[in-house]
Amino acid sequence: MGKEKKKKQLKKKSHLPFRLNVVFFIVFLLFAAIILQLGVVQILNGQEAQEEIDRTENTTTNIPVPRGEMYDRYGRVIVDNEPLYSITYTPPKGVQPEDRLELAKRLADFMNMPFENKLSTRDLKEYFFLQNREEIQDRVADVDTSEMENGEIYQLQLDSITEEEIQSYDDATREIIAIKKELDKAYALSPHIIKNADITEEEYSTVAEHLAQLPGVNVTADWERSYPFETTFKNYIGGITSRNQGVPRDDFDYYMSLDYSRNDRVGISGLEQQYEDVLRGTKEKVQYLTDKDNNVVDSKVIREGERGKDLVLTVDMELQKMVDQIVREELAAAIREAPYENSNLENSVAVVSNPKTGEILAISGQKYNRSLEEGEDRFSDVSHQAVYNAYTPGSTVKGATILTGLHEGAIGRYTTVNDVAINLAGKRKSSYTPNIGVVNPVSALQQSSNVYMFYLAMWLGGEYGYEPGGRISLAPGTFETFLYNFNQFGLGVETGLDFPYEETGFQGDDPNPGLILDFSIGQYSTYTAMQLNQYVSTIANGGDRMRLRLVKEVHDPSMKVEGLGPVYNDYSPQVLNQVEMDPSYIDAVQEGFRQVFQTPRGTASSIFSKEPYAQYRMAGKTGTAEATKYVPVNGGESYRPIRNLLNKTLVGYAPHDDPEIAFSVMTPYLGDDATSTFNVSNKIGARIGEAYFKLKEQRSEEGLSSTETDENPSEQE
Amino acid sequence: MKFEEKFDWQLLFIMCCFIAVSVVALYSAQQSPQYASNFAIKQLVFYALGAVMIGLMLLVDPEDFKKISWYLYFFGILLLIALIVAPSSIAPVIKGQKSWFNLPGASLQPSEFMKIFTILVLARITSQHHEKNKKSFKSDLALLSKLVAATALPLALIMQQPDLGTSLVFVAILGGMILVSGIQWKIILPIFILLTTVGSSLIWLALKAPQVLDEYLGVKQYQLARIYSWLQPTKFEDSSGYQLVKAMRAIGSGQLYGKGFGDREVYLPESQTDFIFSIIAEEYGFVGSCVVLVLFFFLIYRFTAIAFNANHAFSSYAMVGIISMIAFHVFQNIGMSIQLLPITGIPLPFISYGGSALLGSLMALGFAFSVSFHQKTYMFGD
Repeated sequence: MGKEKKKKQLKKKSHLPFRLNVVFFIVFLLFAAIILQLGVVQILNGQEAQEEIDRTENTTTNIPVPRGEMYDRYGRVIVDNEPLYSITYTPPKGVQPEDRLELAKRLADFMNMPFENKLSTRDLKEYFFLQNREEIQDRVADVDTSEMENGEIYQLQLDSITEEEIQSYDDATREIIAIKKELDKAYALSPHIIKNADITEEEYSTVAEHLAQLPGVNVTADWERSYPFETTFKNYIGGITSRNQGVPRDDFDYYMSLDYSRNDRVGISGLEQQYEDVLRGTKEKVQYLTDKDNNVVDSKVIREGERGKDLVLTVDMELQKMVDQIVREELAAAIREAPYENSNLENSVAVVSNPKTGEILAISGQKYNRSLEEGEDRFSDVSHQAVYNAYTPGSTVKGATILTGLHEGAIGRYTTVNDVAINLAGKRKSSYTPNIGVVNPVSALQQSSNVYMFYLAMWLGGEYGYEPGGRISLAPGTFETFLYNFNQFGLGVETGLDFPYEETGFQGDDPNPGLILDFSIGQYSTYTAMQLNQYVSTIANGGDRMRLRLVKEVHDPSMKVEGLGPVYNDYSPQVLNQVEMDPSYIDAVQEGFRQVFQTPRGTASSIFSKEPYAQYRMAGKTGTAEATKYVPVNGGESYRPIRNLLNKTLVGYAPHDDPEIAFSVMTPYLGDDATSTFNVSNKIGARIGEAYFKLKEQRSEEGLSSTETDENPSEQE
Repeated sequence: MKFEEKFDWQLLFIMCCFIAVSVVALYSAQQSPQYASNFAIKQLVFYALGAVMIGLMLLVDPEDFKKISWYLYFFGILLLIALIVAPSSIAPVIKGQKSWFNLPGASLQPSEFMKIFTILVLARITSQHHEKNKKSFKSDLALLSKLVAATALPLALIMQQPDLGTSLVFVAILGGMILVSGIQWKIILPIFILLTTVGSSLIWLALKAPQVLDEYLGVKQYQLARIYSWLQPTKFEDSSGYQLVKAMRAIGSGQLYGKGFGDREVYLPESQTDFIFSIIAEEYGFVGSCVVLVLFFFLIYRFTAIAFNANHAFSSYAMVGIISMIAFHVFQNIGMSIQLLPITGIPLPFISYGGSALLGSLMALGFAFSVSFHQKTYMFGD
C-alpha cells in the first residue's frame, strides 16, 4: 500500500479520535458507577449484610408437648393420651443425599418400614443414582451441562437409568429406599416423623439405644386422644383438630398470635375448646446455633416445655352411664307402650347437679331412632340438647310464679283461690287437674292449679275486676316484673356453665294479658333443661343461684406416669346471685314441692310416694305444656306444624330437707292421648334419684370418696 | 521488525491476570458440594484452546478479516437459523431457551460468536460507506439504516430463542459503533434522548401504573417481576428476588478486605457462571473487586489505544465494537449483582465459566492482538 492511500484513510477517519474519546469516557463513567455502588454495598452496608448472615444462622424450633387429660370427679380417666411412639428425624443444615442414604441403611437394621406400594420409579432411580453416581455422570458426560440448572442435569441423569436396572432390588433394599424417602422429606432443623404407626416396643427401644449412631434421629412419644368411656359424655368433652387439620383456618391469626404452629391440634368444641388455654401446655422452645458449615454447634433451651394441665370434671361417670341407661329405657318404654300416639316422641333430656355447689353430676340426652339404617344404633347421644334446645316447660316453673307473687305482694302467704275455670272474653282457661277446689300457695303447687296462677298474674298486673266472660287489662310492666323475678332463678338467662355455647330460650316481648297468664303457668317462654336445673337448685338450696360447672379443678401435670399432680386452680362454688324473696316464702315453695311428690293429692305422688322411691324423700314439680312440633318437609324448605302434643317436664331434688342432688327432665312431644305414658319424665326423675342414692350407699360400703382415686374405670364396671 | 517488538505483551499480561482470577474463583465456586464438575480445569482447557486460536488469528491481517466478514456473518446467521429448525436432540431447550447445539464432545452457543461476526460486518459497512460516499445528512441516514439492518437480523434471531441478555449486548454494540461511525450528532443525539426517555417512562409506568402497560402494550403483571424484584428484592426473597438478595448479601458481607479464599458463607446458585463476581467480592472484598474492575478498565484502555493507532478505519471501528461488547458485559454482569441493573443472565467476560462465551471473548481478544500486531508495519512510511 502506498502513502497516498494511507493519507486518504487517515482523512476518512478524522472524526474518530474525538468519538473514541467519547466512548472511552462513557466506559469510564460506567465503571465509576460500579465502583461507587460497590462502595455503598460493601463498605457502607457491609456490616449490615454480615449481621443478616449471622442472624439467619440462629434457628428456633418448638417441640410440642402432650395435651392435658380429663378425669371425672372420682379420678377416673375420661380422656387419655394414648402414647404413639414415633421415630423422628431432624436434619442438620446442608445434609447431603449420601448422608441420608447412609442413615437409612443404619436405621433399617433397627426398624421395620412398610414399603409395599410406597415406592415410585423415581424413588428407585434416585437410589440407583446414589449407588452408581460416577457411572451415571459418565453417561451424560458428553452433554454440555454448563448452561443447565442443577435440577435439569439431575433429571437428565435419572432419565438415563433404565427400568431393568431398578427392577432387581430385593425387599431389604426397598425398605432402605422407603426409609430414605421419609428422611428426604424433612426440612432442616425441623423434626419430621419418619414412622409413628405400628411401632413395637422393641423397635422403639432398639432405635432409642442406638441414637448415638443415628445423627438427627430421635424417638419421641407422640399422642392421640383416647376415651376409656367411649362415647359417654363425649358431647361435653368435645373434640380437637387432627394434626393434618392443624389450627382452624378461620381464626388463623388469633392462634398464630398465641404462638401456635400450623399443625397444632386445637380444641374446637366442648371442654376441649373451653379449656384450650390450660389443656394445650407450653411448648419447649429450643434455639439451635449453627456455624458457617451449618453444623449445630449449640442448642439452648429457651423455654422449658410442660405438658398440658389436667382437668377434673364435676361429672360422675358411673352415675352418668346409669342416667343414660335410665333415659334410654324410659324413652323406649313410652314409645313401646303407645307407639301410635307417641309417634312424634323421639328424645328426652336430663340434667343432674349438686344444688349446693352447682357441680354437674350427669347430663343425658337420648334420641330414639325409629328407622334404623345399616350399622346405626337405636339411640344416639343428644346430651348437647340440655344446653341447645329450649322447650315450653309447663307447670314446673310455678315455683317461680308463686315466689314472684309473694315477693311482689300480689298474693299473701295464705291467700286462697277457688279453682274454677276462668273465662276471658269467651276463652275458657282451667287447671289441668279437675276438682281442685280452694287452694293456697302451697296446695296450688301440690295440685298444680293453673287458676291460682291466673289470679296471681292478674293481681300482679293490678287487675282486680275480673268478670267471667269479660276482658282483663294488666298494668304496663307486669311482664317485665315476671321476667325480672324469673331471671333470678336462671330462667331466661345464661346459667354460667363453663361451656362454649348456651341457648337462653325464647322470652317474648310485651305479650297481651292472655299470654302473660300463659307465661305464669309455663306455657309461653321456653327454657333449656340446664336452666330448669339451675332454677330448681336455687329453690332447693334456699335461694342461692349457683353457677353450674363442668370442671371442678385444674391440676398441674403429675410427675408420675399416672394420676393427678398438684392442684393448679380450684373452682370453688360460685353464687351468681341470691334471690330477693324472703326465706319463709322459699320454705313455702319447698313445702309445696314436697307435697307434689310425697302427699296423696300431689301430682307426682303416684310414683314418688311409693317404694322404692319414697325412702329418698324427694321433692319437685311436674309440668305439662301444650306444644306444637314443626317438622321439616321438602328437605327443609318449609315446616309443617304437628299440633296437640305435650311436653312432659320434671324438676326435683332430694332429700327434700338437705338436698344433695337436683335434677331436671324434659321429654318433648308426647301425643296428648298417650295417657299411659304421661309419667315418662317422672319415672326418669325418680329412677335418677334412686340411682344416685344407691351408688352413694354402695360407695360408702366400699369406701370410695370423691377425691384422689386412682382406680381404673374398667374395674368399676 | 521482530516478533517480540510487534507482539502486544501488555494484552498478554492482562489475559494471564484474567486466567488467574477465573481459575481461583471457579475453584472456590466448585467447592459447593452440589457441583460434581471441575470447572477450573475445564476453564483452563478452554483457555488453552483460545490461546491456539489467538495464535492463528495473529497470522491474519485485519484487512483479511474485513474481506471474509460477510462470509462469517452469514455463516453465523445460518447457525442461528439452524438452531430454530434443529430437532431437540441436537438443539435442546435449556432454561426455556433454545440457544445451544449439542455436539458430540462439546456444545456450542452460536450467538456468542455471532457477536464478533456482527462487529466485523458493522465495521466493514462503516469503513466502506465512508470510502464510497461524501459526508452528508442523507448519506449519514443511509449508513445508520445499514448498521441497524445488519444488527437487526441476528438480534431478531436471538430474541426469539429467547435470550434477552445477549440481545442487549447486540444493542450495546450497535450503539457504540453508531457513536464512532461519524454520523452527525444532530442525528445521534435525538435518537439517544428518545430511547432514554422511552426506557425511563416504561420503568416509571411499571412502578406507578402497571395497568396502563397491560392495557395498551399487553405487558402482564408477572412480566414486570424482573423490575419489581430489582427495586425491592427483599420483598420477593422467596421467588424472583432470591438471587439478588443472596448476591447482595454475599458481596456486602465481603466488606473492605473480604473473608479470604474458601471462607464464603453465602450459598448462591449458578455462582460459577453469571454470579462469579459475588464469589470474588465476598472472598476478596471491595479491594479485590476493584482489582478486577481495574483489570477490565486497563483492558479497555488498551483496546482504545489499539483503536487509536490502527492503520485501518475498519480495525478502529471493530475495536470500538469490541470495547462496547466487553464494557456492556462487565457493566451488566456486575451491575445486576449490586442492584445497579435488573438481573439478566449474561456472563462476566474471561472469568465466568462457559466454553462458547469464553471462546467468543478470546476471539475478540485475538482480533485485538492481530490489529496490534500488524499496526506497526507502516510506521516506517511516516
